[in-house]
Amino acid sequence: MEKKILEILSSVLGVQVDETCSQANCAKWNSINQLNIVVELEMEFNISLEPEEIGEMKSYNDIIRILKTKQ
Amino acid sequence: MQVYVFRNNTIESFFSHDYSFSGYNDISVIPQEAMRYVWCYQLPIEANACRVAQMIEQYEKNLDYVLNRISESKLLIAFTIENRWCLKYVEADDRLSKAINHYNDFLYDKCGTNKNLKIIDIAEFSTSYSIEQLIDWKYFFAYQVPYNPKLAKDFQIWFERKISQIDLQRKKCLVLDLDNTIWSGIVEEDGMEGIVCSGDYPGNVFHLWQEMLLELSKKGVMLVICSKNDEQEIMQLFEKNPNLVLRKEHFVAWRINWNDKVSNIKQLAKDLNIGLESMVFVDDNPTEREWVKQQLPQVEVPDFPQYAYLIPDFGRQIIEKYFSVYQLTDEDLLKTKQYKDNVVRQQELTKFKDFGDYLRSLNFHLTIERANEYSVSRIAQMTQKTNQFNLTTHRFSESDIKQFIAQGWYIYTLAVADKFGDSGITGCMIIKPNYEIDTMLLSCRILGKGIEKAFFCYVMNQLQESENITAVYVPTEKNKQVENFYESVGMELYETKDGIKYYRNAKKMQLEISDIYSIN
Repeated sequence: MEKKILEILSSVLGVQVDETCSQANCAKWNSINQLNIVVELEMEFNISLEPEEIGEMKSYNDIIRILKTKQ
Repeated sequence: MQVYVFRNNTIESFFSHDYSFSGYNDISVIPQEAMRYVWCYQLPIEANACRVAQMIEQYEKNLDYVLNRISESKLLIAFTIENRWCLKYVEADDRLSKAINHYNDFLYDKCGTNKNLKIIDIAEFSTSYSIEQLIDWKYFFAYQVPYNPKLAKDFQIWFERKISQIDLQRKKCLVLDLDNTIWSGIVEEDGMEGIVCSGDYPGNVFHLWQEMLLELSKKGVMLVICSKNDEQEIMQLFEKNPNLVLRKEHFVAWRINWNDKVSNIKQLAKDLNIGLESMVFVDDNPTEREWVKQQLPQVEVPDFPQYAYLIPDFGRQIIEKYFSVYQLTDEDLLKTKQYKDNVVRQQELTKFKDFGDYLRSLNFHLTIERANEYSVSRIAQMTQKTNQFNLTTHRFSESDIKQFIAQGWYIYTLAVADKFGDSGITGCMIIKPNYEIDTMLLSCRILGKGIEKAFFCYVMNQLQESENITAVYVPTEKNKQVENFYESVGMELYETKDGIKYYRNAKKMQLEISDIYSIN
């Protein structure tokens, strides 16, 4: 799962990213790309993320944490 | 900036990454450097239908405002609004649907006066989805995304196709097999009377399919036959079988023989003077399709349905995908007739002593004019489609041409008529204000009669400073036949670099035009 998430982040953001990636340190991670990331995650893992959860997803680590609760 | 989108909600993920977007409901910024514009407003969702109606009325005014402030030479592509989800407290309350209809009518009416406005009907995309598929309320309310963002890729594909229709990139020619493709049955086995294309199923399906093909040919798509059969027998069948919709005269050419279809298709392309990439091949036999696909990758080969009842929908899909065009020019409508006329001309040819005699007997009449608002779309279309008699193969859009006119370029069109018919506009020359010939092209339909020289000479005589004319020939895979055109009209070749030939003209041209042609 971790590897797939990094792939999605890299592909949506258009830059190679690692586990430290977050909205704070990646300029490309704007609100539109946030939306694109959520769409990709939902499709890839066949889950539905709630707006509150989406709001909390501000970094790679947040994504991991929230996705783990979905399994 | 390539494309600037005016919008009232979050639609970025539905469009290409390099598009730029306005603020929500924002028309205060109209960037003049954009190459074209998109107007994508969708129905706002509010509790008060009256208020929504008012907002839509406002969109109308806003669009008008924007339209008056962008260059006429740049396209504005506007989406219709559709009413997929609305609150109705009183069943008879139609104020909102009236406002939506008014808005859409307004768009189509505006097209009449503003040639740079093109409309895309959003319903064409959305009707294939249920409302649950179309709108994801989470995204709608959390992000103001009007449609489910998971449909973004499908939307992009659809939108790109619409754009290419607007930019006139449709295929020219549909290559058809016969047995079990345009009728049910096999002539060799079932006999001429045994084939089915009327009456009950599956006859009704093939009847409808043939009617669709007939409509396509009226819209300027060339229908040709490529079939393994006996030619005489098929020709007889076309004459005698009363149930056929399509007749011999609806096909511009055919190859009915037992040869390999790949070589037949190549030959057809050659006869019609078109590229393989403008052809679509339809055949019920998967082996033939596979063979053509492998040998001629430029030709589009759609999968033919296994069941007859799926054929009409297959037809709809190929029309939409390959042959749909935003609007037809008069030349499209004339085309099938013109190719027929060419055949009559070929037959006339045999009766005369010499070629000049023959040409004189045709009563050629050339009409050469400066480009105007009525010819702009045809000029753009020719630059997109003409490959063989095209000295530089520069492709232009309608808005490019309009810009050139505005910048004082010399653009001439050529229309050719003879005693058999009118070819309409079939050639153009685009000359920059510094007298460099940017484009010189003629449709292959009128080649072989010396018209190209008469056209060139006439235009040169029109120009005040023809002693300053320069020109280039840029070779492509297809335009070898014109590599010596400029030499043949007396231009001086002064340099050849990377295959590109550069010409100039040192003296004032006063060129003789053969008396074969009358010109105005």
